[in-house]
Amino acid sequence: MSENVYTYGIVEQEDITLDVAGVKNATEVYTVEYQSLAAVVSDIDTTDPDRTDEDVEAHNDVLQRVLEYDGGRTIIPMSFGMAFKNTRTLKGVLRGARPALQSTLNDIEGMVELGVKVISTGGERGSQDVQSDITETLSAVSINETENDLFSDRLILNKSYLVSRSERGAFDDAIDAIQETYDERFTVQYTGPWPPYNFVDIHIGAEQQRGGR
Amino acid sequence: MFILDDILVKPFTSILDILHTMALNELYDTAEIRDELKENQLLYEVGERSQAEYEERKQELELQLEMAEQIKSQMGDRIEVKG
Repeated sequence: MSENVYTYGIVEQEDITLDVAGVKNATEVYTVEYQSLAAVVSDIDTTDPDRTDEDVEAHNDVLQRVLEYDGGRTIIPMSFGMAFKNTRTLKGVLRGARPALQSTLNDIEGMVELGVKVISTGGERGSQDVQSDITETLSAVSINETENDLFSDRLILNKSYLVSRSERGAFDDAIDAIQETYDERFTVQYTGPWPPYNFVDIHIGAEQQRGGR
Repeated sequence: MFILDDILVKPFTSILDILHTMALNELYDTAEIRDELKENQLLYEVGERSQAEYEERKQELELQLEMAEQIKSQMGDRIEVKG
């Protein structure tokens, strides 16, 4: 049997077992602990999994479950495809990246990412005033924000917000207020909570993670 | 005579070449197709497209993307997509 492990993300050291469908039909998700950290993993039979829609969804579902686990956990999400030869290799990577991982965990402690897309319903592009109004309203109840790609002509705003769990209610209210103000002109798509994908920037070398050292 | 032919023909072929490349770029712009896939998903999620419309468009675009990727890899450096 293969000893490969697929990694979803990193949390503070804790023994967690989740009964959830993982990547490549894994049936159990568990943690591999290393000092103050724990990697959320499942067993897999390859170190180079294909990127399929189903597996990307499974990856995101697991992250979502950890995010909501037992009142909420802070997790550094890994991008899809991080599989290691065995837990020993994984621990080696955690050892090397521990300072960066620990400081990122401290930075995002108690925070979640929320996505906001504003879509024009009648072909209106949305004036600068409308955009500033929406942006200012949401900036007031968030810690940080990133601008995402406007991949459609219908999109007048596409942003991700880093929000403290304790501010979730205020952010929800702000979204409701925007929807009410601009009803019929724009549709607001509000998604999350997500792990803070757009607010962490940790790169683990591909060679290091796939190598058998 | 040879020189005259050359002068007459050369600008003409180069314009054709540019037009041809531009048309190919347009047709096989994979970034554009990917954006359309995302737009299709978004409009479905906000309820503007029915599931049937969404599935049909998704299938069309995925096929288009597959063809575009195949042709791009066959043409290699001859196609340069801007933007």
